Amino acid sequence: MSEQTLTQLTSADPQTVSRRRRAFLRVLRNPTTATGLALLALFAILALFAPLISPFDPLFQNISVSLHAPDSTYLMGTDKLGRDIFSRILHGARISMVVGAAVVAMAGTVGTLVGLIAGYLGGLIDEVVMRITDIFFAFPSLILAMAIAGALGPSLVNALIAVAVVSWPVYARLVRAQVMSLRHREFVEAARSLGVPTWLVLLRHIAPNLLAPLLVQITFDMGGAILSVAGLSFIGFGAQPPTPEWGVMISEGRNYITTHPWMPGMPALAILLLVLAFNLVGDGLRDLLDPRMRS
Amino acid sequence: MARYIFRRLIGLLIVLLGVSVITFSLAQLVPIDPAATALGSNAREEQIAAYRAELGLDKPAVVQYFNYVGRLLQGDLGTSIRTRRPVIDDLRDYLPATIELSLAAISVAICIGIPFGILASVRRNGLIDALARIFALVGGSLPIFYIGLSALGLFYRELRWMPGPGRLDSTITPPNTITGLYTIDALISGNWPVLQNALWHLVLPAFVLGYASAAVLLRMTRSAMLEVLNQDFVRTARAKGLRENVVVLRHALKNAMLPVLTTIGVTFGSLLSGAVLTETIFGWPGLGRYATASVTSLDFPAVMGVTLVAAIVYPVVNLIVDLCYRFIDPRIG
Amino acid sequence: MSRFRHSPVVLFMLVMSLLLAACGGSAPATPAGTDAPAAVEATAVPNEASGEATEAPAEPAAEPAAPASPAGSGEVSREDTLIFAADLSDQISFDPAVAYEFGGIQVVGSIYQTLLSADPGDPELKPLIAKSWDIVEVEDGWQITFKLDERAKFATGNPITAEDVVYSFSRVLDVNKSPVFLFSDVAKLTKENMKAVDPQTVEIKLPKDSSPQVFLSILSFSIGSILEKALVEANAGDDLGSSWLNDHSAGSGPYVLTSWERNVQNVLDANPNYWLPAPTFKRVIMRNETELANLQAAIETGDADIVEGLGSEQIAALQGHPDITLVQGNSTSLTYLGMNATKAPLDNPDVREAIRYAINYDEVVTLLGGNGTLVQEIIPKGLFGHTGKNPFSQDIAKAKELLAKAGVAEGTEIEFLVPDGTGPGGIEWSTMAAKIQNDVAQIGLKLNIKQIQYAEALNIYRAQGAQLIIVAWGPDYPDPDGNVTPLTLYDAKSIAWRNDWNNPEIGALGQQAALETDPTKRAELYAEVVERVFHEGPYAVLYQPTVNLAVRNHIKGVIYDANDTPSISFDVITK
Repeated sequence: MSEQTLTQLTSADPQTVSRRRRAFLRVLRNPTTATGLALLALFAILALFAPLISPFDPLFQNISVSLHAPDSTYLMGTDKLGRDIFSRILHGARISMVVGAAVVAMAGTVGTLVGLIAGYLGGLIDEVVMRITDIFFAFPSLILAMAIAGALGPSLVNALIAVAVVSWPVYARLVRAQVMSLRHREFVEAARSLGVPTWLVLLRHIAPNLLAPLLVQITFDMGGAILSVAGLSFIGFGAQPPTPEWGVMISEGRNYITTHPWMPGMPALAILLLVLAFNLVGDGLRDLLDPRMRS
Repeated sequence: MARYIFRRLIGLLIVLLGVSVITFSLAQLVPIDPAATALGSNAREEQIAAYRAELGLDKPAVVQYFNYVGRLLQGDLGTSIRTRRPVIDDLRDYLPATIELSLAAISVAICIGIPFGILASVRRNGLIDALARIFALVGGSLPIFYIGLSALGLFYRELRWMPGPGRLDSTITPPNTITGLYTIDALISGNWPVLQNALWHLVLPAFVLGYASAAVLLRMTRSAMLEVLNQDFVRTARAKGLRENVVVLRHALKNAMLPVLTTIGVTFGSLLSGAVLTETIFGWPGLGRYATASVTSLDFPAVMGVTLVAAIVYPVVNLIVDLCYRFIDPRIG
Repeated sequence: MSRFRHSPVVLFMLVMSLLLAACGGSAPATPAGTDAPAAVEATAVPNEASGEATEAPAEPAAEPAAPASPAGSGEVSREDTLIFAADLSDQISFDPAVAYEFGGIQVVGSIYQTLLSADPGDPELKPLIAKSWDIVEVEDGWQITFKLDERAKFATGNPITAEDVVYSFSRVLDVNKSPVFLFSDVAKLTKENMKAVDPQTVEIKLPKDSSPQVFLSILSFSIGSILEKALVEANAGDDLGSSWLNDHSAGSGPYVLTSWERNVQNVLDANPNYWLPAPTFKRVIMRNETELANLQAAIETGDADIVEGLGSEQIAALQGHPDITLVQGNSTSLTYLGMNATKAPLDNPDVREAIRYAINYDEVVTLLGGNGTLVQEIIPKGLFGHTGKNPFSQDIAKAKELLAKAGVAEGTEIEFLVPDGTGPGGIEWSTMAAKIQNDVAQIGLKLNIKQIQYAEALNIYRAQGAQLIIVAWGPDYPDPDGNVTPLTLYDAKSIAWRNDWNNPEIGALGQQAALETDPTKRAELYAEVVERVFHEGPYAVLYQPTVNLAVRNHIKGVIYDANDTPSISFDVITK
């Protein structure tokens, strides 16, 4: 759906690149975007310094404090095995952020390359690529991801691959649409008539103009990928216990939701905040880059 | 028009073919022998070999694939390894539950998303707009499985406002199968207690499944409306002195419907993914749960059946959406 | 164009009607499942098992998988309905020759009868379909003669004959699925050695090395169910009626199978032709509920009358509830680690011993919160031959020493197969697995947890595919042999085989114990087996769980007896 909006974005010419610096300053002045960025920064710091900040080893079990309610020692309480939930959440933040980045990197790279080729070359290759993306769009992503994870065996890495496999077509279509609108613009035509090789045209004249819409897509996708991988882990196709992955933690806490609500509640809150942060930033970026959405 | 639909159907066929190739290839990756799995621990080697031959598993993968497609054309989806029933029978049992849940969820999304989207666009930057924006952002960030768990915990267990998991109370016999959608079947046979119970059981899972779509739809309605409201013909309508309600609902909304419809189509396709998690939590005997169980037991005949069915839904819904465009705006196409 | 003009309208109307439906759902309606007398409108469909079955020309086999149509019964009020909720997601089949899991056996045990049976809570075998039996030692083995009760009849109204008995037992051997080893390997029963002498007399011969007492115990298990030959043969299809039996019953038990909504519930209705006193509840609904929190909610709201498999958290929450009684059932199952004896590094007995010394058993029991007791031997409490010895307690130094002796490097990885969902004692398998993983990590072994669906875990295990697994085992008949043969005899193709552990000496010792008639000697033999399996076997027994049920106060007579088939006898429950 975000693709829909994004293809409508008219990307700026090379001359406008310098204007973007000012644009980013404007992003920071937008309260929602600023909130999102602040949250992201907070999560990044927590994740980066998790081993230093965590009061406990995320895997350390202490049965004598099983299901301890949140207090000053255990900020978010403990689980059945007496593991500190706060420490697990901090380490889980590392996993989730890496997961999001890895999925987006894989899907984004493959999708962008395919989209560039299809959009620039056009013709039969374009037709074939578009049919392939059709096929992937028709698959319900979670079921395909489950099937891939099932075939490869349940593990965090396989879940990650599965989500990347279902995510790349969005990038391919987005990039393709952009390239097609760009390739007949004067500055591209001019470069081509001067005999600049194709790869250089793509790299120097087309790629910079893709950055803005890609950035928006990537930001939203980070959140989406984190949710998808957590969902896969929740039903047992992702990270395996005792990994402090948030989806696994919610799954482990599902039976305690009424008796010890912090156990599934805290990781759920963490997912909400992190994904929300990405969505806030993405929303701000989109508003900024799409003039029609601006107030 | 007919040619257009024909072209789209050809496209659908290509998609289905691609989906079957992908799923079939995945099945080849599975390290476990489905024949040995099906026959259990006491099977002798010759039994397993016979069963492999019966399933055609002893042939090269390409031959197996063409055999599969051949049977597919005769409407035979194969036999599930896990449930030991024809996959088509399993799908017949489980698909209607998912369709019913998805339709209810998309209704919830429409019920919330469109009216509030319109309000947010009309009262731009006002309180409703701000609330709608927060709702939309949070809605897109919440893990659906947690919402399902806590909704059930709160509304069923604690408050008892809502019934428990499942499509009906245990004591209620499902209506005679006509469509397999309990609400519709109960309606057709005039079975009011069942209708009421089935609707009652739909409320929670439909909200849980639909809220994310509601958020998307709300955002889309708002931005589409904003765009239209700034256009000349709306200004003209206002200038002519038409009442604001009329301007918004008659003139602007109609023109803003196109992107909204697209969104509904796309969202409907994505509901099936959400259904996997929602069904797990609400004990909903649908396709999502069947898919989960099939994947966990590496039951690839069943997985292929599910993906094929799912792959039909998305293009068909989008075809319907396209046809709706033409209805709203005959200039298209 | 015009042809399609209306389709969006139709679509719109459809969407709107559902929308109204969804929105209208919030109008005040009777909160389902509270006290509202829910009149059940069962669709009256002619009972497919009505009378003419005996000599009926074989009907074309019914569509194998057609969902069972609600049979017989008209309306059954909520008061006459017993709703039982538990995790029944292990149900695969209701064919007595196939069913081998709790959910399946609970159904099979309610709709079929066996030749002889124990009362709930009393291990002594009593006559059921067989009014008497007689064991004679002959020159080459044992001859057992059963006399059938003349009154015994199937749900169709047809009498139970010796031919039905011979058919049912032969069929188990022909179907040849999971539980067949009880007949083929434990009892050494063959088709040639069964004979219907006259309609009321069955003669069965067993070889010398088979124990007649064990055989009688096996016959009281679900595999000994008697099926109506004519009815099953008329619907045999190409799988001896296996798939037909998933949606229909062909037995003589207090209930008949009315429907199986897969993954949702089974409906059992009182057998209209039951030849023994009719049960109090006319209908039993067995609901599949996998979430513990939902199980608790179901009993609190009264949506269910009995729930089984509560966790310690749920029990604590239900304690003192004015409308609910907690019932503890003694289970004879054991939760254990299975260590494949041919997959390195577990092929070294010292490594297996090291793992046994790595586990903190006290904390395992603490985690169960009173839902299990410490048992480390392969014969559980409640069975003859239980020794009560628990030789292992956590000793990290000793365990490390053993590992060093075995030459296993620090950080060696082992794949640890873990079922998802809740295990015996109401604790999530994953939680227990994480506990074990944590303990074993202390001696330098790295267990990689692989969590999958229970049925699939069993499938892999059954195919000898598990390196290390956490799983539970319960004996199929209340005799130590019900544990010792599967856990020690490789050729029984059961648990010892699944762990690829072949110790013919211990296996033979177990067989000798099974045949021993002198109780003192038998106990001594079993003690020896237990002692040797402790250290040589492929197991680390973790605990013996208790089964926790919650029952609404107006329901009486709920007994959970793990030794009985089914474990919960619905027909003795009253109100």
